[in-house]
Amino acid sequence: MEPPGKVAEQVSNERINDRGVVPALARRALNELLRVPGAGVPGILAPTIFMLGLSAVFGNVTALPGFDGLDKYMAFVLPVGLLQGAGFTGAATGVNMARDIEQGWFDRLLLAPVRRPVLLAGIVASAALRTLIPATALICVGLLFGVKFPGFLDLLIVALLVMIVASASACWGAIIALRFRTQQAAPLMQIGSFMAVLFTAAYAPMALLQPWLKAIATVNPVNYVLTGVRQGFIGSVSWADTWPAFVAGAGLLALLATFAIRGMSRTTD
Amino acid sequence: MISASVALARRALRVTLRRPQFLAPLLIFPTLLLAVNTGGLSQATSLPGFWEQYGVTAPYPSFFEFQLAAAMSQSLLLGGVATGIAVALELEMGFFDRLVAAPIPRASIVLGRLLAAGAIALVQLSWFVALSLIFGSGIADGIPGLIEVYLIGAIAGIGFAGIGVTLALRAGNASTVQGIFPLVFVVLFLSSAFFPPNLLTSPADVIAKWNPLSYIANGLRAPIIGASGTSNVLEGFAAAIGLALFFGLLATWSLRGRLQSK
Amino acid sequence: MAAIKASGLERTFKGGIKAVRGIDIEVAEGEIYGFLGPNGAGKTTTVRMLVTLLKPTGGTAVVAGFDVAREAAQVRRRIGVALQEAALDPLMTGRELIILQATLQGMSKAEGRERSAELLERVGLINASDRRVGGYSGGMKRRLDLAMALVHSPSVLFLDEPTTGLDPTSRFAIWDEVDRLRREGTTVFLTTQYLEEADQMADRVGIIADGLIVAEGTPEALKAESGAPHIEVVLDQGSSAEAAERSLAPLGEPIPAGEGHDVAIRLSDSSTGVADAVRLLDESGLSVAEIELVRPSLDDVFMEKTGRRLEGAATVADEQ
Repeated sequence: MEPPGKVAEQVSNERINDRGVVPALARRALNELLRVPGAGVPGILAPTIFMLGLSAVFGNVTALPGFDGLDKYMAFVLPVGLLQGAGFTGAATGVNMARDIEQGWFDRLLLAPVRRPVLLAGIVASAALRTLIPATALICVGLLFGVKFPGFLDLLIVALLVMIVASASACWGAIIALRFRTQQAAPLMQIGSFMAVLFTAAYAPMALLQPWLKAIATVNPVNYVLTGVRQGFIGSVSWADTWPAFVAGAGLLALLATFAIRGMSRTTD
Repeated sequence: MISASVALARRALRVTLRRPQFLAPLLIFPTLLLAVNTGGLSQATSLPGFWEQYGVTAPYPSFFEFQLAAAMSQSLLLGGVATGIAVALELEMGFFDRLVAAPIPRASIVLGRLLAAGAIALVQLSWFVALSLIFGSGIADGIPGLIEVYLIGAIAGIGFAGIGVTLALRAGNASTVQGIFPLVFVVLFLSSAFFPPNLLTSPADVIAKWNPLSYIANGLRAPIIGASGTSNVLEGFAAAIGLALFFGLLATWSLRGRLQSK
Repeated sequence: MAAIKASGLERTFKGGIKAVRGIDIEVAEGEIYGFLGPNGAGKTTTVRMLVTLLKPTGGTAVVAGFDVAREAAQVRRRIGVALQEAALDPLMTGRELIILQATLQGMSKAEGRERSAELLERVGLINASDRRVGGYSGGMKRRLDLAMALVHSPSVLFLDEPTTGLDPTSRFAIWDEVDRLRREGTTVFLTTQYLEEADQMADRVGIIADGLIVAEGTPEALKAESGAPHIEVVLDQGSSAEAAERSLAPLGEPIPAGEGHDVAIRLSDSSTGVADAVRLLDESGLSVAEIELVRPSLDDVFMEKTGRRLEGAATVADEQ
């Protein structure tokens, strides 16, 4: 048995090795999916029902000019479902964080000599990975219902963008969790991502939106991400639609992550 | 029986209104969807055959006015789930046992809850009526139309609460009742709440014909868009009353079943 | 160098609530320091400041040689903490949790695995190491929490009410472990509501009330300060209390007898014992049903310093 302080002293003489922290925390967060039967079902069910429902109800709006002869409305709303799934996953991560705060687990993380951004990265990384499950399910359902296969390049773009949105939503969830420190703030987390995804050209192209919604969609970064996710499903991938999606998504993530890290620093205030 | 039910209804109302965070999701979520649906698909009213079902002529109502009934229906359905969750929580906490032990008719326990849900439905409906005045042209059929909306909506609210109470009494725990939340949207989407039945895609158009929510939504819609003269209002009343009676009785029967099994 | 040194430490919360109103604590290396106080006295707030979970709003604190406010990360590398609620993930196994804790402390996976085996053996959880923590008993969870706090062999260990709610076997297991840590030279800052625990385990005790340290010293010194021991006697029927007081007069002054006792004498000489009292009573022809030597407790110390009992405090015997 090492004498007290010897291991700590060895560690303290070097920069702390926090490389393993992100995968370790992400792995811990994924336990809920892997070890609780049915835990992943709501995350898949909700966006799938929404996508199928919207297609069933509004399917014939593709006859409107502006849809440019698109025959399958599901191809138009599938990307909305993907981003909703990402938002839902991020909110769930925020709720889990609130639970950890309530139950004292979060204190354990704060007591570790790990940089705060690394802790946040570990929490958020799990959301980015988790969101691929509902995303895959949703795309499979879409393909089953006749949505055209977008191509592997677009699938890669979709995967990356969806992961960015899930991470951003997880940061939003973290901000709310750190501010209110209770799971009862869950609706605030959910409504934030819900609004961000729906106040876009979610249901119809920009040209058909009412002026107030068009104005919001123009400044909503998620709208650009949506365009980037949607391009392969309704047409072809283009650089002009891809780079703004990544810039907007990354920018949103950076902004929310900054506030989340600040929130973590303020826990000691 | 009546006085016990009214007393329990007042108690349920007091508890609910003291927690505005309970009411907020019932209003905010449907309002957000209303805004997004209207903002995104307002031009849908130009689709051929859109107004066929409703017997309205030019100048046609707006898509917002069309969607109001969908938002009301959604809010009332969510209210039913919320009532179910509240009852399930009372079961879990043991408060329900106290009601059962009290010298009151057992049916009044259920009836009180349903009456409270009806009263809360009036609050929910008032919110959307206010929105119609602010963002639309109000209720096209005036005061009689407004009364129709409140009556159909309140009775439907009672029916939806009956579903929630039945589930709560059968399941006995709040998380099971909460689990039916996605089903609310399935029921909504497989109805003509959001879009005219002749413009729904298959098989939603077929299912919607059998879905009582379609008739309730159309019944709420008709007075708003100035179509009270059609059969939509009568069908709306019939569906709402049928729902309220069926699930009210089912809830009472479920209570009896629960007490007998204890 | 002191392992823990707090000077004028203060914490004021929003709304002007002063939970800690300027305390000075100095804990030597290798010492076990017991921190006693009723609920709401400021114990937990003090601990949270010392372990860097809360920033002090006044004063300073240096733990393991580093300032808690300005060098918090350095402090965290050198301290181990087992807080009041053993916050453990019920979906993970004991082994996984220790390995995770090791990772959080900057250790490699291999080091973490080796260390987890060692610590699980040490705290008696090796057979349960691959079971999910959700199925552990309260005592097992507390032992695991302690093991996690030790994963990086910290020089200072903070234990916040480590045995509250535990059965006697688990409690003694924790006490044994703390004793072992003392022998290994680890500094232990122990908050507790059990007087007996502080009495037996701590080298020195600090008592906090209303945000201030009201007494500090070794348990023996504190108890001696608060007065000499006294004898309580229950007489057999037929023996008079006045006669008993007269016969015991050589031993000390009579004091009001507690409930259930007939006579109480505060001893003027601490070395006097029960045997002397029995002899005197016997010589006077008085018959005794029960006789007890009562030494001053830390609760008596608290009573003297604050005018009230250590509210919320308990003894191990009370809970058995």
